[in-house]
Amino acid sequence: MDLAKTESLDLPQAEPAKGGSVGAPRLTWMERAIVPAGVFLLLIGLPWLHPGYRLLSLAVSTGVNTIALCGLAILFGQAGIMSVGHAALMGVGAYAGAILARDLDMSFWAALPCAALLAAAVAGLVGLPSLRVGGHHFVIITFALCGLFTIVLTNGGAFTGAATGLDIAPIGTVFGVNFSKLQNLYLLAAAFVLASIGLMRLVMTSSYGRTLRSIRENETLAAALGVNVGLHKIVAFMISGAFAGVAGLVQVYFLQHISPDLYGAFPSVYIALMVMLGGPRMLLGPLMGAFIVTFLPEVLNLDPIDARIAYGVGLILVILLLPGGVMAGLAHLYLSCRRCVVRS
Amino acid sequence: MIALEVKGLRKTFGGVVALDGIDLAVGLDDIVGIVGPNGSGKTTLFNVVTGALKPSAGSVRWLGEEIGGMAAYQIARKGLVRTFQQAMSFPALTVRENALIAHEHGARSGTRAVVPDALLRFVGLDGREDEIAGSMPFGNLRRLGLALALAARPRLLLLDEPAAGLNDSETEQLAGIIRRLPGLGVGVCLIDHDMNLMTSICQRLIVLDFGAKIAEGRPEDVLNDRKVMEVYLGAPT
Ligand SMILES: Nc1ncnc2c1ncn2[C@@H]1O[C@H](COP(=O)(O)OP(=O)(O)OP(=O)(O)O)[C@@H](O)[C@H]1O
Ligand SMILES: [Mg+2]
Repeated sequence: MDLAKTESLDLPQAEPAKGGSVGAPRLTWMERAIVPAGVFLLLIGLPWLHPGYRLLSLAVSTGVNTIALCGLAILFGQAGIMSVGHAALMGVGAYAGAILARDLDMSFWAALPCAALLAAAVAGLVGLPSLRVGGHHFVIITFALCGLFTIVLTNGGAFTGAATGLDIAPIGTVFGVNFSKLQNLYLLAAAFVLASIGLMRLVMTSSYGRTLRSIRENETLAAALGVNVGLHKIVAFMISGAFAGVAGLVQVYFLQHISPDLYGAFPSVYIALMVMLGGPRMLLGPLMGAFIVTFLPEVLNLDPIDARIAYGVGLILVILLLPGGVMAGLAHLYLSCRRCVVRS
Repeated sequence: MIALEVKGLRKTFGGVVALDGIDLAVGLDDIVGIVGPNGSGKTTLFNVVTGALKPSAGSVRWLGEEIGGMAAYQIARKGLVRTFQQAMSFPALTVRENALIAHEHGARSGTRAVVPDALLRFVGLDGREDEIAGSMPFGNLRRLGLALALAARPRLLLLDEPAAGLNDSETEQLAGIIRRLPGLGVGVCLIDHDMNLMTSICQRLIVLDFGAKIAEGRPEDVLNDRKVMEVYLGAPT
């Protein structure tokens, strides 16, 4: 239709909005840049603060989870689809890395695209039948995927190392950098974290992110306006699978030993928990969620059983008090304080 | 020229016959009204024609092509776009984002792209581009619903009770917008219970009762039809 003719159309104005500010208050670029800049400096600079071996290991674990969580944040935060099978997709990447290194002598770098593509393909296979039927079915099927995956791994004989799992040699020296040193491995993980956050931002700010949000907000309306809802749900799940596959690959080279219990139902639920805890719609939510869940037991000196209880209670508290996660809560708090300061 | 042609369309939900063999033809410069009591199958007709529901029997042809049973998004991309009886939006997104979604998907071919901002101006939502859709009052949500459908570049627009919940002046504005659409290359087929609105903007009325078409023609003729009067005023004794 040609709206050129309607430019001068003198339609009455819509009724004015009630109340004060309706949209989000505008932040200056300084306010918007300061937190990401601080996080960036801390991520890159951590080794120079001389953290102990233990702390640096926890930081690498946080990094591994953050990579996977960025993918899950795209799936859950943008498209509104929850998966409780993400540990299994990480496992696909991890086992792919270990098996490719053992049988084909493939390096970390060569295995990287393989792990991503394989995990995305598994996600596609799982998503194809289950995403069409809708929310609850999908959650249950992704949960079942974890169970199935552990069963396959434990019964995979020598190929998957059965219940004992597989070992893998460290990445070794590439371009003169020795990745067997934890510091350097940390920096590698940090680079992957930054890349993951960057990719997540790219998706969130692109028109593709908008398409995913339309599905999250109102599937029926999206379809009625021409959005291929079924396709984009599967693609979103595959994208999140690729992130999980890469996370698994970094993890296997970090741990140098993997076993099926790392990729079962419990770790999957933890990952889902982390994304909700941190804030699935916030750029730094994944990092925050992974950080809290990895470091909290350490800081509070919790044993594993207590830690599980703490996670459960923490999750309930967050869902009740901070439905958008910790990062969204912090952002909200900042905006409220700012409003008070501006007003006074 | 007939663009949408429905023949013998049936839709049943278990034992409930919601559409009982509907025949219908709509052109691209028409404004056709569909009326009927609650539960007579009006919304179901839109649902089946636009692919939200699969027909039980019968055919739906759009620009000569059979589209019965196609997915909703495919039908929308062919230029057959509907709005919803309950004002629908993407509530957590801004008005502009809402419009961009429809703009970026929607029909592929045909008319030149209209910038979403011009459309928002067209429905009277200019200046509200950055508002969160879900925080707007109902009247503006209705405007947004119309803007979204138009942003998808329809050739035929199916409006499901667009005036429901609007006050008199808003309804008058809506009528003004709808009247302009055929001139802009968009045919209109609309459902509404507001007979004043329907008789003032429709060239043709179709009356449904229990899933069947009981009358069709010029508004003044249809409303004086004996069968229609029975349906609306109760059977004469
Ligand atoms: N998804 C569905 N499942 C089962 N029954 C349905 C469904 N949709 C509609 N119906 C039934 O089909 C009949 C027609 O409903 P429809 O919503 O099309 O009526 P309508 O003419 O739009 O009414 P109203 O004026 O109240 O909007 C009703 O009896 C309704 O209960
Ligand atoms: Mg209806």
